[in-house]
Amino acid sequence: MSFKKIKEVIEDGDIVILYLNPNNMHPLEVKEKISNKKGKIIDNVFNTAYGALRVVSLIGQKYGSKVELTRGWAYVLQPTPELWTLTLPHRTQIIYSPDISFIIHLMELRPGSIIIETGTGSGSLSHALIRTIRPSGHLYTFDFHEQRVSIASTEFEKHGLSDFVTLKEKDVCLEGFGEELKHKVDAVFLDLPHPWLAVEHATVALKKAGGKLCFFSPCIEQVQRTCTKLICEGFIELHTYECLQREMNVQYKLLPILDLECLKHKHTTEDIHKNRKEKQEEKLLTVTQSHSLPGHTGFITIAVLPPTYARKKEIHLQCRNSDK
Amino acid sequence: MNAVVEDTCESVEDVITVGTHVIVKKQDFSKIYKVSENGILMLGKNQRVEMQEIIGKPFWSTFEMVPLSGNKGTFTLTLTDEIEPWNDLKGELSGCDNRSITDDGTSQRLSKEEILQLQEAGKTGKEIISSLIENSKSFSAKTEYSQEKYIKKKKNKYFKFLTIHKTSILLLHEVYFKRKHEKIGGLRMDALAQMLSYSDVQSDGLHLLYSNGFQGLPAAAMINRIGTNTSGYLINLHPGNMPQTTFIEAMNFPQELRDRHLAVNIYSFLRLHYQGESSIIDNISKKVVIKDTEESHDTEKSSEESEGETMNDEVSETDMEVSELETEIKENGTLLTSDTGEDNSTLKRKLESEEPEIEAAKLKKPKKSANKLKWLLETKRAVDLLSSMKARGLTIVAKEHPLQIAKALLPFLGISRPFVIFHAHREPLQETYMELKQKRNVINMKLFTNFLRSYQVLPNRTHPDILTNDTSGYILTGYLVE
Repeated sequence: MSFKKIKEVIEDGDIVILYLNPNNMHPLEVKEKISNKKGKIIDNVFNTAYGALRVVSLIGQKYGSKVELTRGWAYVLQPTPELWTLTLPHRTQIIYSPDISFIIHLMELRPGSIIIETGTGSGSLSHALIRTIRPSGHLYTFDFHEQRVSIASTEFEKHGLSDFVTLKEKDVCLEGFGEELKHKVDAVFLDLPHPWLAVEHATVALKKAGGKLCFFSPCIEQVQRTCTKLICEGFIELHTYECLQREMNVQYKLLPILDLECLKHKHTTEDIHKNRKEKQEEKLLTVTQSHSLPGHTGFITIAVLPPTYARKKEIHLQCRNSDK
Repeated sequence: MNAVVEDTCESVEDVITVGTHVIVKKQDFSKIYKVSENGILMLGKNQRVEMQEIIGKPFWSTFEMVPLSGNKGTFTLTLTDEIEPWNDLKGELSGCDNRSITDDGTSQRLSKEEILQLQEAGKTGKEIISSLIENSKSFSAKTEYSQEKYIKKKKNKYFKFLTIHKTSILLLHEVYFKRKHEKIGGLRMDALAQMLSYSDVQSDGLHLLYSNGFQGLPAAAMINRIGTNTSGYLINLHPGNMPQTTFIEAMNFPQELRDRHLAVNIYSFLRLHYQGESSIIDNISKKVVIKDTEESHDTEKSSEESEGETMNDEVSETDMEVSELETEIKENGTLLTSDTGEDNSTLKRKLESEEPEIEAAKLKKPKKSANKLKWLLETKRAVDLLSSMKARGLTIVAKEHPLQIAKALLPFLGISRPFVIFHAHREPLQETYMELKQKRNVINMKLFTNFLRSYQVLPNRTHPDILTNDTSGYILTGYLVE
C-alpha cells in the first residue's frame, strides 16, 4: 500500500525501494515468504553485493532509515512514481520520468482528470498518471496482452491504487474504448505501434467539451501518419517534441598547473625551493558527462480537440475527399 | 458527429465571465487578458480591440475583428461561426523548383498604399491575400510548398480572427516563454514539468516551495497539481515583502484552493519557527519607527520586488512606468477611450505592455495595517502546519545560491521524501551537490539538464524546427534520509 499515502513506518505488505547507490536500487515486497522461480515458497531473503537482507526484518523500521546488510548497509525508501520507474520489473519497454513529466504537462492533467492510457505495458507511466489525477480523477488503462494486464492489476492492488484505475484487456485499435467511455475523458494517451488506428476511437471517447490527445512513438513515420489522421479528425495545434535528459556527474578534478613564467629568467636554487611550495595543481569542482547516453527515446506529440461546437467542418470534407 | 452542437453541455465555467483571466489567441500569437465590462485589448503596436463582446460567450468562440469606422486602429468584435476556408487560395499552377524566380523586388504589383487601401476598405484577410496573389508575378512559379508558406506568412499578417481560451499553466507559460522568457527565468516547460514530477507534488500532503521571481509560475503550477477540493497544502516561501502572483491570479483558482496556498516571507518564517512569536513582535516594534518614515519608499520597493527582478534595469523600469500609468487610468474609470491622440509617448508605452491588466492588478497596494496582521497570521499558520507534519516534497526555484536555502529548508522535509532544485546555472548546483553529499543525510542525488527539440511534421517535409531554445537550466534532485 506504499503508494497510497505518506508512510513513516514500514508495514507488512509494503513495497519498499532498497537503495545501495543511484545505479543499484531494488523494489522489495515486504513479506515473510515469496515463491522462487520454480514456484517453491521460500524465505524472503534479498541478496546484494553487500550481503543479504531478510526482508521481513524491515517491518517496523522507518522509511528513509539505514538498514544493516550482512556486509554493509543500505537505505530503504518509500517508493515515488520516479523511484518505481527506475526499479520496476520490465515486461515491456518503458517510458522514463523525463518523458512522463512532459506527457503529463502537455496533457494538462491535474486532480480530477479522467484519462485513458494504452498500452499499460509495465505500468511505469500509469503510476505517475495516477499520482497526478487522484483522488477524484480516474485512469482507464488498456493492453491487449493478457499476462501484462493481470500482473499490472495485481501491482495496482498491492500498491493501494485500485480505486483510481480500471484495467482492461482489449485491442483498442479494433474494438475501441467501449461504450461506457463515450464522451467521458479529458485526455487520451497512446503508446501503440499503430497509434493512427486508435485516433477515431479516441475522438469518440473525448468529452464533447474537447480534450487532449498525446502519443509516444519512437519512429517518425508513425508520427507522420498519426498526425495526418489527427488533422482529419479535427484535432488542432499539433506539436511534436523530443526531450532528452542529460545527467552529469559532479566531481572534483585536479588540474596540473604549469609554471612557464619561470623559464624566462635564470633561477637560483632558492627560487626553485619557493616554487615547489606554490601549488602545482588546482582542485576544480566540475562535471563529467556520460560518454554514451540515450540519444533518442521517442517523439511526443500533443494535439487538441476543440469542443464540438468549435470543431472545423471543412477539414472533414477534405479528408473524405482524399480518402476516395 | 458535428451535427451535435447544441447538446454540448455548457456549464457556467465554460462561459467567459467578467473578472476572470483568459487567453486570447490570434494565429500563433497569444496574450493574457482580464475580462472587464469595457475592456480594451492591445494587439501589437497599434491595434485596439474592444472586448465587451466576449462576455457571456462560451470559451473557444471565434470573433472577427471589425474595424470601427472613423477610429483608425480600433476594432470591435463580432462572434463568427466559421472562419473562412483558406485552402482554396493555392494556385492551380505551381513550379517544380525556384530556378525561374529572382528577387528583384518587383514581383508584387500592388504598392504599399494600394494594400493599405484594401485594408481600410474593410476587405477581409482572405480577400486581401487573394489580391496579393493575383498581383504577384512569381506566385504561380513558386512550388506548392512555397505557395503554402507564402499564404501562411500573409495570413499571420492579415488574419483578423481571435479565439478565447481558458487559462492553463501550459498556455500561460507559452505566452511568457515566447515573448518574455526572462521574466520566468527562462524556465522551459520540460524543466517545469520535471520539477513537478520530482517534487512529488500531488493532491495530498504539505508541499514546500521556495521561489523568488518567475512571476509565481512554480507556485501556480504546484497549486494546479494540488487541485480543487483536495487536502494538499502549498507553503510558498519567498524573500520579499510580496510574492509574485501573476500566474496564480491568471489561473482563476477558486478561493478554497487559494486558501491552501500560504505565501510567507522566508525570514519571518524561520525567525518565528526558531525564536517564537515574541521575537517577531519585538522585531516589528523596533522597525515601526523607521518604517513610518520610510512608508512610501517601502511600497515602492515591494512593488519593485514583485516586478520580476529583471536583470535588465531598463526593462523593469519601463514596466513600472507602464503599470503606474495603468493604475492611473483605472482610477479615473476610463480606459483610454477618448484622449488617444493626446499623449503619444505614454500611449506608446502602454502599447508595448503585454498584459496591462495583470500588471495593474499586481500593483494594487495592500492596506498597510490590515496587511501587517495578515502576514503574521499567515506566517504562524505556515509554522504551525510544518510543526504538525513534515513536507512531502521540497522545491527550490531560486535566483540566489540554493545551498543556504536548501540547508535551511531540508529540516522541514519528511524523511524518505524528495527535493528538487532548479537553477539557471550549473555551478551553484555543483556546490550544493558536494556540500549536501558530504553532509551525508541526502541520497540518490542527480544533477541534470535537458535538451528539447520540436519538429515540423508535414507529409514529405518533416524535420526538426529551425529554431530551438538552449536555456534549459539545471535540476538537482535527491532524497532525504535519516
